[in-house]
Amino acid sequence: MTSATTILVLLVVVALAFDFTNGFHDTANAMATSIATGALRPKTAVLLSGVLNLVGAFLSVEVALTVTNAVVEIQNSDGSPVAGLSRDGGTALLVIVLAGLAGAIVWNLSTWLLSLPSSSTHALFGGLLGATVAGLGWGGVNWAGNGQEIDGLLPKVVVPALASPVIAILVAGLATWLVYRITSGVAARSTEDGFRWGQIGSASLVSLAHGTNDAQKTMGVITLGLIATGHWTDTETIPFWVKAACALAIALGTYLGGWRIIRTLGKGLVEIAPPQGLAAESSSAAVILVSSHLGLPLSTTHVTTGSVLGTGLGRPGATVRWRVAGRMVVAWVITIPAAALVGAALWWLAHALGGGLVGAVVVVAVLAAAAAAMYRRSRTAPVHADNVNDDWRDGPPADAPSRTTVPA
Amino acid sequence: MSHVWELEAAALGQIALAAVVLGAGLPALFALGIRASAWGRGGAEVAADGGEHPPHPLGRALSTAVFAVVMLVALLGVGFVVASGYGKALSFEHVYPTVVDR
Repeated sequence: MTSATTILVLLVVVALAFDFTNGFHDTANAMATSIATGALRPKTAVLLSGVLNLVGAFLSVEVALTVTNAVVEIQNSDGSPVAGLSRDGGTALLVIVLAGLAGAIVWNLSTWLLSLPSSSTHALFGGLLGATVAGLGWGGVNWAGNGQEIDGLLPKVVVPALASPVIAILVAGLATWLVYRITSGVAARSTEDGFRWGQIGSASLVSLAHGTNDAQKTMGVITLGLIATGHWTDTETIPFWVKAACALAIALGTYLGGWRIIRTLGKGLVEIAPPQGLAAESSSAAVILVSSHLGLPLSTTHVTTGSVLGTGLGRPGATVRWRVAGRMVVAWVITIPAAALVGAALWWLAHALGGGLVGAVVVVAVLAAAAAAMYRRSRTAPVHADNVNDDWRDGPPADAPSRTTVPA
Repeated sequence: MSHVWELEAAALGQIALAAVVLGAGLPALFALGIRASAWGRGGAEVAADGGEHPPHPLGRALSTAVFAVVMLVALLGVGFVVASGYGKALSFEHVYPTVVDR
């Protein structure tokens, strides 16, 4: 095995690990409200969401191989790597992508540890951005495309990220207000079943859409690595094993459930009642599907968080914890720069070690050590299916569930 | 303002508009179905005077119709996800949805 092939194997493993974190980071987006209102039992919810993500990922028949093009210029428009990066059997490109993915994972795990929802797509783009700037300089960044279409970091990633929560708050707020207006005076016992099914249906739609949208980003990244090293030449399709592996990784991650984030989104931000759950998930499903239909897909995380916030605002007298909301906003704003910094630092580390196999191995070792440390830290105040719905107490989220320290 | 920002503003405006119609309209319709179903079953709707109402068949028919519409739109959503996975899109050019190349 040549050193480029070995780095490729590392890249595939790290990419699948990212896909896995993408899964458990985003379980909350679809299922937090259904779990919080008791429409679904926690374990049932993550199973349903995992299966739908799996189905959704397999539905991605046409995968865009140019996923990185939105923010950086390491690929040509047909998906093949740019000329300057194909030397040494594609090693230069592999190391950039590897460092970028590692940066994205570190950021995803950090926000998970802090129980904060943050966009996995932003983390991926941020990591790639940092590694590319480190490797190619600022010229490697696609700031605003060619000015003729919505492309590039600012129009395609940053501005939509600012706009999507606003849209979601508006839609979910209005939906909540209407639902409460229309059903006022109807006894709760005759509405509960209806809202329960409405919530499950809309949450399922969000899960399915998530599987189709998010898994294919990793599929595109892995295929890019295969093309760069000459293991794949077709720039129209992707190998089946890549699709199957990515689908499984995201589904398993979803099934594992990011309980810390589910808790924040379902219990921490707003105390959610079943009609609010329905309004929030319908709003999320509508914004996500409409935006991707109109060619400007919005981040599932930003949309669902906005929807939950909106549903708190739309119901008179509902509790909205602005401190929690504030922490989330901070996490969103720093996701891209933070993942970029880690990605850049890891690229420099690999570069200092020769930019080849040794560098790649050390990057993966650093990543594994960081992941293990964060996992160990999370065990001091674990959140799991049995305490995810405990009453929310204000204070640092790591302390909130600590009174039920059941090892799990 | 450069061209790309005009496109961006237009796209976000369209998204907001369509999302309000679907994302707020559907739950509202769903709530209407729930209200109609309570009316159809009778007794469930608490009147201002606290008295109970007799079941009304119209309520049942209405709720069935409303839930059918909600279900259809939800299926359309599934159809859209499946179509986009295959690199297709749904077109509403002929009012009823058709699958077209993206």
